[in-house]
Amino acid sequence: MEIKKIIWNWKVLFLLFFLLISLLAIKPNPFAKGVVVTKISEGSSVQLQGIKTGEIILEFNKQKITNLDDYSKVINELSKEESKIEIVTNKNNYIFLNSGNLGINVKSVEKSNIQKGLDLAGGTRVLLEPVSDKEISDQDITNLIQILKTRLDVYGLSDLTIAETKDLFGNKYISVEISGASEEEVQELIAKQGKFEAKIGDEVVFRGEKEDVRRVCKDDGTCSGVRDCYKVDGGYNCKFEFAITLSNDAAKRHAEITKKLDVNVSGQGSNYLDKKLDLFLDSSLVDSLLISEDLKGRETTDIAVSGPGFGNSEAEALEDSIKNMNKLQTILMVGSLPLDVNIVKMDTISPVLGSEFIKNIIQVCLIAILSVVLVVGIRYRNVKIIIPMIITLLSEIFIILGFAAFIKWRLDLVAIAGIIASVGTGVDDQIIITDEVSGKEKAVYNWKEKIKRAFFIILVAYFATVAAMLPLMWAGAGLLKGFAITTIVGVTSGVFVTRPAFSVMIENLLK
Amino acid sequence: MEEKQSKFWDFYNKNYKKLLIIPMIVLILSIVLIYNFYRVNGDIIHKEVSLKGGITVTVYYKERIDVNELNNFLIERFNNADVNTRLLSSLGTSEVTGFIIETSDIKPDELKKALEEKLSIKLNDKNYSIEEVGSSLGESFYKEMLYAVLFAFLFMALVVFITFRLFVPSFAIVLCAFSDIVTTLAIVDLIGLRIGTSGIAAFLMLIGYSIDTDILLTTRVLKRKEGSVIDRFRGAFKTGLTLSIATIIALSVAFIFTNSIVLKQIFLIIVIGLIADIFYTWVQNGCMLYWYAMKKEHGN
Repeated sequence: MEIKKIIWNWKVLFLLFFLLISLLAIKPNPFAKGVVVTKISEGSSVQLQGIKTGEIILEFNKQKITNLDDYSKVINELSKEESKIEIVTNKNNYIFLNSGNLGINVKSVEKSNIQKGLDLAGGTRVLLEPVSDKEISDQDITNLIQILKTRLDVYGLSDLTIAETKDLFGNKYISVEISGASEEEVQELIAKQGKFEAKIGDEVVFRGEKEDVRRVCKDDGTCSGVRDCYKVDGGYNCKFEFAITLSNDAAKRHAEITKKLDVNVSGQGSNYLDKKLDLFLDSSLVDSLLISEDLKGRETTDIAVSGPGFGNSEAEALEDSIKNMNKLQTILMVGSLPLDVNIVKMDTISPVLGSEFIKNIIQVCLIAILSVVLVVGIRYRNVKIIIPMIITLLSEIFIILGFAAFIKWRLDLVAIAGIIASVGTGVDDQIIITDEVSGKEKAVYNWKEKIKRAFFIILVAYFATVAAMLPLMWAGAGLLKGFAITTIVGVTSGVFVTRPAFSVMIENLLK
Repeated sequence: MEEKQSKFWDFYNKNYKKLLIIPMIVLILSIVLIYNFYRVNGDIIHKEVSLKGGITVTVYYKERIDVNELNNFLIERFNNADVNTRLLSSLGTSEVTGFIIETSDIKPDELKKALEEKLSIKLNDKNYSIEEVGSSLGESFYKEMLYAVLFAFLFMALVVFITFRLFVPSFAIVLCAFSDIVTTLAIVDLIGLRIGTSGIAAFLMLIGYSIDTDILLTTRVLKRKEGSVIDRFRGAFKTGLTLSIATIIALSVAFIFTNSIVLKQIFLIIVIGLIADIFYTWVQNGCMLYWYAMKKEHGN
């Protein structure tokens, strides 16, 4: 009887409605299997097979892949020799031959829409401060973000968020979060302004901008790749090379400048001009290219750009030069940043710790709820109070998670702290409600009045808490925004949704 | 039990004016302590890397190492650098999962190299996390966080004054929150806890928690008419104590069992603050409010 009465109360229906919405937002899928491809290396056989990022690998060499562990197990068992690989993804089946590193990065498949922040999922977070002598406009920042995004995308990193943040003093920052990228890669890709210059002597032939560089050959083995590897002192050296097409203006400049140069006669058949074409990236020399005699004074639009890669072993040198090539191609294709940027904060978190944190957090939440139940149980000794309380606490957590999933907020550790803190205020409010309605003055006031009185206290405390949290939305370049958001959402949904429903449950159960 | 309780409230009833001296002394003592800390250390808190710039490195290393030895090794190797090394262990078991190093004086690459040599392992993105904060950013974070606390406090005070529209009770609530923060800060300094951005978030949260009980008390005592002032006071005390204890126990348990230093810091600060809050709410705010209510009721 009581149950029926409770469920058909509009406050409880309101709560159920929110729970349903949260469930839809979270969309839990605990039985999801497989691993998601996050990055595919340049020139790998996997790339040639046409596997794309975002595909879910379900089977590898006839072995079922349910999680990351399964995947690393089969990868570790792969032989270094050329061998047959069979991959079944959610899109297609692939069978091919491969030797050495497969060149594929994966992550575990998402089991819900709840997005994990950097410190729970692993990855790299960078806070950039644009630097300029002039006033930095919003347009500058928008352009900067656009170019950074394109750069990272062209490079092959797609699982990322870039956003502008401001602090309390109005300083502008850009925060970049990337999962599954190494610190070094990110540093090179985003903190480099990417001012590319090709010079002969002091004269600039062309710059890495759209006006000068019309086309860059990328991902095409016929005009781009690592050409040569050899042993040097202390390791190996590889050389990459790729073709670019210059604009007519740049080609004219090339002709003008080379016209003035002399020819060095080497006596070995091929003669070169007496000055080299020096390639600079952000003012440091990448490579110096010999210019062959027949290019003297010619308007050529086809130029080969090259550069080195080093490593302790040949494989390392090869990998390094592919990485360098990819970076240079990316910069030439996308152009330089409109502003110089400084890395003011850089975090690289290993994914290993993240999964331990999550396990731990769930345990901690359960233990904390249990201890609240214990205290409340000792004080009231009444199941009719304890059960609604547990339902309310769990609902509050669920609604916060639902909201976070809905606005695609990445939950990090401080956001979790915010959840626990706001649920803590929930306990406070429930005790206030319980005491208010079960007090000695039962006879004096009716239920409605009692609940109203409880909610007066709750609302004042609510407004004070929200007011105290507001500065955090902006302070510290938004690094604590997660804490502020989960706390504000938690106490708001608590005060307006779950705690009113709690009062209904209590009212009907205790009456 | 009931007898004892009455005696307690009789005492309260008779001595509330004198009792008020105790929290005032504690508050002054806390301020002196913080001032002294400021004189010695040049700041009111021990700042973590996130507020002063530097690096935090986490290494996942299952073998038990001597943290002190490692710390001394690093200090020696980098010419008396300011290094702070802690062990990282997992929940329930004493199993070591790794260690955390904080420093403002060592470059990330050099530290990594030194660790690789010392432990003879290779550090990569599977077993190694690094967080780096530029020193100018750290400083500006710190400044901003102080502003955030200040704003938060003012906003809260505004809400309280608008709600109650009575100077003395509102002032008592705001003073209580202020005393609570100051004493918590003094205790945090005393136990040598380092504070980062998340620690400051905890102080902000504390503002919210701290006034919960004060608002409960003030509402019950001033806005209700049934029973005597002391009866309403007792009722509020029972409710307030229950909710403080529930929160303190829940957060203490969370503090003990969490393996994240970020969460540990937040929970510890709130727990210290809540304990201080029990004292300030029921002695400082309580006595002031009681005084005010008695005066209003009896006109003396």
